[in-house]
Amino acid sequence: MRSALVSAIKLYQKWISPMFLARCKYYPSCSSYAATAISVHGFKGLAMSAWRLIRCNPWSHGGVDYVKSKNGSLISGSATT
Amino acid sequence: MSNILNPLYIAVSWVIIMIHKLVSPIFSPDSGVSWALSIIGLVIIIRILLIPLFVKQIKSQRALTALQPHLKAIQSKHKDDRQKQSEEMMKLYKEHKTNPLASCFPILAQAPIFFALFTVLNGIGKKPPRAHGVLTIADVNNAAHATIFGAPISATFLGSTNGSVKIVTVFLIAFMSITTFTTQRQLMVKGMPKMDSSNNMMLQQQKIMLYAFPLIFAVSGVNFPIGVLIYWSTTNLWTWGQQFYVIKRNPTPGSPAYLELQAKRARKSGIELPVENQEESPQTPGSTLEIKGQRQQPVKKKRPKKK
Repeated sequence: MRSALVSAIKLYQKWISPMFLARCKYYPSCSSYAATAISVHGFKGLAMSAWRLIRCNPWSHGGVDYVKSKNGSLISGSATT
Repeated sequence: MSNILNPLYIAVSWVIIMIHKLVSPIFSPDSGVSWALSIIGLVIIIRILLIPLFVKQIKSQRALTALQPHLKAIQSKHKDDRQKQSEEMMKLYKEHKTNPLASCFPILAQAPIFFALFTVLNGIGKKPPRAHGVLTIADVNNAAHATIFGAPISATFLGSTNGSVKIVTVFLIAFMSITTFTTQRQLMVKGMPKMDSSNNMMLQQQKIMLYAFPLIFAVSGVNFPIGVLIYWSTTNLWTWGQQFYVIKRNPTPGSPAYLELQAKRARKSGIELPVENQEESPQTPGSTLEIKGQRQQPVKKKRPKKK
């Protein structure tokens, strides 16, 4: 389940996302945030991703926002693009 | 799913019915033109509602000019570390409470409406027709028989053997593809500041997609009812027009369109400026800086008036 979702996101990143201009207000982008969150936290990660997508709206100022790992540290290395 | 979307079905069908009532005296209620205009009207209403968001985004993009020195500094400081670069840029935006990026919201906001319209129109195309939202069975039957250039508005390219349907769908799909293509191209050629080499990869990718997009439309469009194609074509045309206006009247600083506008304004006021030297004039950095300062002024003065 996790890997299916993550590969769907990777597919989106490779084929669909480049069609539009860069648009995410956060770093890492919502899609890579979601990929990391889901692979680390599973179902909870899915909810985290949804919440991130909602936070990324015209009234937000964005910023740097990494997924927290289970022990509370920030995951910034592995998940790029 | 249908329960969640029910309010949207009601909203979409209500707007369609209202506009249909409005235009019926002119084009007759049974005409496909009336139904087509209803869909076009729906698009126009949605896009007008989204204008404030667009303006907000353009404003924060322009606010970026002030941050340009900071951005340059970040880029040169973290030349070899894209991640650090992006991080620092996002931090900068947040500090200054401005963010030039659009977020997914404008797309995501339109998706449910698009989906609702799709369902409503598909219901019309069913045999027997199914009513969604505030549409009555009489409305749906009327719409199912309404044709535009001989093609029922609920027909799809693949689902019909009618020659008119084929012609109208192909025309609309071509129109959709062309508007998307020209919109993207216009932005890439005129609307964006010249990219530095680090962004070349992205530019290359965008170029590929420039051609892939129309192809995707052609493949997916054959499954869509004519009404949905009308919706899509109209919204594309709107996007193009909106962008055309911004590129002409209020282009991104540093983009080719911006330089053109500057040159035009300079000509009008009778000042001669070395336009072609704007981007690269390493010989006389002092004098170019002065000129740049002069150039930005007319834009800045006019800006408050417009809004």
